[in-house]
Amino acid sequence: MKTESNVMYIIRLAAILLIITSLVAAALAGVNSITAPVIARLTAEKTQMAIEAVLPGGGEAIDFAPVDLVSKVYKGENGYAIEVTPGGFDNTITMMVGVDFEGKVLGIDIIKHTETAGLGAVADAETPAGQNFRGQFVGTSGSVAVTKDGGAMDSITGATITSRAICDGVNAALACVATLG
Amino acid sequence: MEAILGIIIAAILSQNFILVKFYGICPFMGVSKKIDTALGMGMAVTFVMAIASAACWLVYEFLLIPLDLVYMQTVAFILVIASIVQFVEMALKKYVPALYKALGVFLPLITTNCAVLGVVLVNVQEGYDFLLSVLNGVAGGIGFTIAIVMFASLRERVDKSDCPESFKGYPLTLIAAGLLALAFMGFSGLSIT
Amino acid sequence: MNFKKQFKEGLLTKNPVTVQLLGMCSTLAITTSLFNGIGMGLAVTVITICSNVLISALRKVIPSQVRIAAYITIIAGFVTMVDLFLQAYIPALAASLGVFIPLIVVNCMVLGRAEGFASKRGILESAVDGLCQGIGYTVALVVVCVIRELLGNGTFGGGLLGPGGAGIQIIPQPFPAMQIVMPVGGFLVLGFVLAGSDKLMKYLEKKSKKKEAAK
Repeated sequence: MKTESNVMYIIRLAAILLIITSLVAAALAGVNSITAPVIARLTAEKTQMAIEAVLPGGGEAIDFAPVDLVSKVYKGENGYAIEVTPGGFDNTITMMVGVDFEGKVLGIDIIKHTETAGLGAVADAETPAGQNFRGQFVGTSGSVAVTKDGGAMDSITGATITSRAICDGVNAALACVATLG
Repeated sequence: MEAILGIIIAAILSQNFILVKFYGICPFMGVSKKIDTALGMGMAVTFVMAIASAACWLVYEFLLIPLDLVYMQTVAFILVIASIVQFVEMALKKYVPALYKALGVFLPLITTNCAVLGVVLVNVQEGYDFLLSVLNGVAGGIGFTIAIVMFASLRERVDKSDCPESFKGYPLTLIAAGLLALAFMGFSGLSIT
Repeated sequence: MNFKKQFKEGLLTKNPVTVQLLGMCSTLAITTSLFNGIGMGLAVTVITICSNVLISALRKVIPSQVRIAAYITIIAGFVTMVDLFLQAYIPALAASLGVFIPLIVVNCMVLGRAEGFASKRGILESAVDGLCQGIGYTVALVVVCVIRELLGNGTFGGGLLGPGGAGIQIIPQPFPAMQIVMPVGGFLVLGFVLAGSDKLMKYLEKKSKKKEAAK
């Protein structure tokens, strides 16, 4: 008799938990159905804006098997826009690098990052410091490096690691374009 | 190979879970009064992080992605972690009572340790495969253990120091932790190339 | 209904950050700009209120053996909702706080209020408690943010004010000590803020005692 009521009790506990979990799941499914299209649209817009920012005239995605740091390649009439994901100070940085057919950088744009505000985050900021930092990559070819590593790129103050990561990204994009021709 | 070494070095030194990424500060503050309890907590966390990384990767890859439920990942992961902690506790109690005696009291606290949920979320975010996820879990746990044990040995001295009334206890402890974090900053930029 | 007492507790005498030392991970990790601090504070406040209300409403239904699992599920649900809404409608904040939004699930403050308060009290009281604790959390976060941002970057209002949202420059470069916005500074500044709030509380206590003595 006692064991039976014990079993019943456990079943009751499990049932209550199950009900709570299903209610939470149902509520989330509802919220997700509202937010998912908005998030998808925002992501697509952001990628599109990044492509247009680094590649005049924009471009279309081409078939490309992701290698190394390169995740996606877009081709337009003026060159390529390459999406690269170098490892930053915190997590992976997602950025777009525009490269013309001669292998010169047209521009860079950062799509997603979690770098420290005021330091690494300057790389993505619409401030003079941020614009200068991104601007110095324009026109470079071959490979780039920060001054600390013997290159010509000035690092962001206090954010050598972020600056290096962005150089890595640009180098990966340049190398990728070299193989695409 | 490079990726593996990179993850190990990052998780233990240059991106130390506690001192650089701030995962698991609560146990870091709460269970660091004595070196041996700190070591016990560190080992329990490492153990759970390894199992949780493996289990959550499987759940994500074979349950959430096929069912298109990726938005449920936080709920799914915390439930997986909570059940793992419960199972580990029961299993240890039954089969390895010696280990249970050593780690038992820390286990319930681990469910709400953000290092565990943090490592699992980062694994997914960074797109690590199964092996790298488990490795990140283990290495992160070791980094956690190193930091908490080091800090416990510091703290045994800090607590005896003579300081202004308002700084007694946690304020001074935090400042000591800050200085330890400063030392770990020396590792930043360390990478395998 | 002593709203005033609950408010004072949340803000000062039982402040979740400076007195109860809850939710330290996010307090240390994201307090590098005003925008982050306010955003995180509000997100946690909303989640605490919602989970407090629901848990209080269900307190007679949830058996005590499985209560923690039930609370965590409910909290994780609200956190995910907030996460999804932020990603959809305030993407800048979602990007800036990153993994620390889902990590609100294990913010001990939310679970602490659920277990310590909402599981025993009425719905309205629990909602007020969530609000007061949330405000206390936000204020503590904002104080840490303002100090770290000012000393570390020399700016005020990062992410909200100034050209390009970089904040208003108060201390000119290169004087700010960037270490303060690095992890080191998080520990140091929070240590000083804790000591400061302790001092303030002692001072207020002394003053109210004097007042009583004068009566």
